[in-house]
Amino acid sequence: MASTSSTAVGNGSPVVKWVLRLLVVGYLLMLVIWPTAYVVRHTFADGLTGIQEALADPDVVHALKLTVEVAVISVLINTVFGVGMSLLLVRYTFIGKRALSVLIDLPLSVSPVVVGLALILVYNGRFGWFGPWLEDHGLQVVFARPGMVMATCFVILPLVIREIVPVLEELGDDQEQAARSLGANGWQSFWRVTLPGIKWAVVYGVVLSLARALGEFGAIKVVAGNVGGDTQVATVLVQQKYQNFEQQTAYSVAFMLVFAAVLCLVVVALLRPKEGKER
Amino acid sequence: MSIEVKGVSKRFGDFVALDDVNVSLPTGQLTALLGPSGGGKSTLLRIIAGLDSADTGTVTIAGTEATHLPPQKRNVGFVFQHYAVFKHMTVAKNVAFGLEIRKRPKAEIAAKVDELLRLVHLSQFAHRLPSQLSGGQRQRMALARALAVEPTVLLLDEPFGALDAKVRKELREWLRRLHDEVHVTTVFVTHDQEEAMEVADEIVVINEGRVEQVGTPDELYDEPANDFVMGFLGDTTVLNGVRLRPHDVHLSRAPELAGAAEGVISRLLRVGFEVRATVLTDDGEEVHVVLTRTHARQLELREGDRVWVTPASGAASVPPMVATAG
Repeated sequence: MASTSSTAVGNGSPVVKWVLRLLVVGYLLMLVIWPTAYVVRHTFADGLTGIQEALADPDVVHALKLTVEVAVISVLINTVFGVGMSLLLVRYTFIGKRALSVLIDLPLSVSPVVVGLALILVYNGRFGWFGPWLEDHGLQVVFARPGMVMATCFVILPLVIREIVPVLEELGDDQEQAARSLGANGWQSFWRVTLPGIKWAVVYGVVLSLARALGEFGAIKVVAGNVGGDTQVATVLVQQKYQNFEQQTAYSVAFMLVFAAVLCLVVVALLRPKEGKER
Repeated sequence: MSIEVKGVSKRFGDFVALDDVNVSLPTGQLTALLGPSGGGKSTLLRIIAGLDSADTGTVTIAGTEATHLPPQKRNVGFVFQHYAVFKHMTVAKNVAFGLEIRKRPKAEIAAKVDELLRLVHLSQFAHRLPSQLSGGQRQRMALARALAVEPTVLLLDEPFGALDAKVRKELREWLRRLHDEVHVTTVFVTHDQEEAMEVADEIVVINEGRVEQVGTPDELYDEPANDFVMGFLGDTTVLNGVRLRPHDVHLSRAPELAGAAEGVISRLLRVGFEVRATVLTDDGEEVHVVLTRTHARQLELREGDRVWVTPASGAASVPPMVATAG
């Protein structure tokens, strides 16, 4: 914007501008930057030894592996369903569409702990509605990986869909109709036209849900059972180590989680400008 | 390769978009579906393409019963008003789309794309993205894309509607020439009667979901089937209880012809080469007359002058329907 512009926001005095900037920066500093920096500082208080020691603990290694495994599986499932549900919500009309749309936002408002409890009620092997039958058929859901994946899927459900739906709406179905008239069947039109059109929304959704899945705590804590070296994920491990006064390990693992999340965002930020040039 | 539409009806809720439409669109010709917005012409085109389905009735394309065929099996080329370009593909890739779907050999695709881009004068833009093209160029690309699959019929839905007046004029002349080269059966939708008359071999006038008249541009202009067609194809006025075109009214300063109505010029408006005069006759009719600027000067017309008006010999006219008269 030119300095001569007289828009309502742009014409404040320099003093107001600086006060506003300080306010925003101060807010971010107190809320995000300082605490994160604190974690980083504690992690590297003794150089790399903290991380080395943490990685020497088999429980830590297992927890990290498990976290990645659960997150990746959940994100894969969530991406496939997310794209499918977005198409359903935008391209088709059916009874109960609005109800479905509201339902998809539910995980944003319901506490993850409640989600975990609900899953236990349904899939618990002893008194759940569905659990005993599943366990009779050799599938343990609660206190095992299926339950952890389900809990994570529930929590990240809206993230992909809410990224894709607006993009799909803006895209319209003109290009899909053109593809159909040129001989493409539904599948070809999806792969060649729709998916490239929503590519960036999908990438954003995937990264967001990956970051969220890596950091999930509440639901997974209830469902997983937290047996160290078996069903304990990294976030829960951080809490446990911290409470057991193994603070160096707790900080190190916390740092790794933060690092992974920041890495996700950096990857997106690096991919994004290229897209801008293309357009 | 003609298109036969029989008894097609389509409703959107309470709104009747098409009401028992029967029309036969001949092979190798350029046909315009002409009518006001919301009259059902686009719906008819989309039903022919398979992008919408008819509630009742049948569509036959080139002898093949197509009513229940999905769009990709009808072998029609469709051009959309807002281009519907594939934004993420280059111009060449856009044009090649239909051929790649059909799994043609790479060399053949490249040759065909090259040929089509030359046809639509976009060869130098082959590797650009559609966003780097102007509206007119995008629409030409969309046309090349539709032609690439060698469709039995080419359908265009208000193809020049989103373009500015000058480009629109260029493109419709270009479409006419293109059709003379390619000879594919072409149907295009328009609400612009000038566009329809300039480009089409045959015009189907559609209003309120019904076909009002089918004929060549001259037939429609000279022998309109009813008041609506007459009114839609150009301005009209009423003289001695008969509806006719303002430029078909003969105006003189003396009672030269028998039966001429006497009146006073109430208004004169000069627009470029034409002069529009409003004559208030002694019988109380308000007659609109269009003269050339030269003719008006010869007559030395002024507002308030007393003149005589009469239908010119050879004027096309219809008795006005009571409901829409005036």
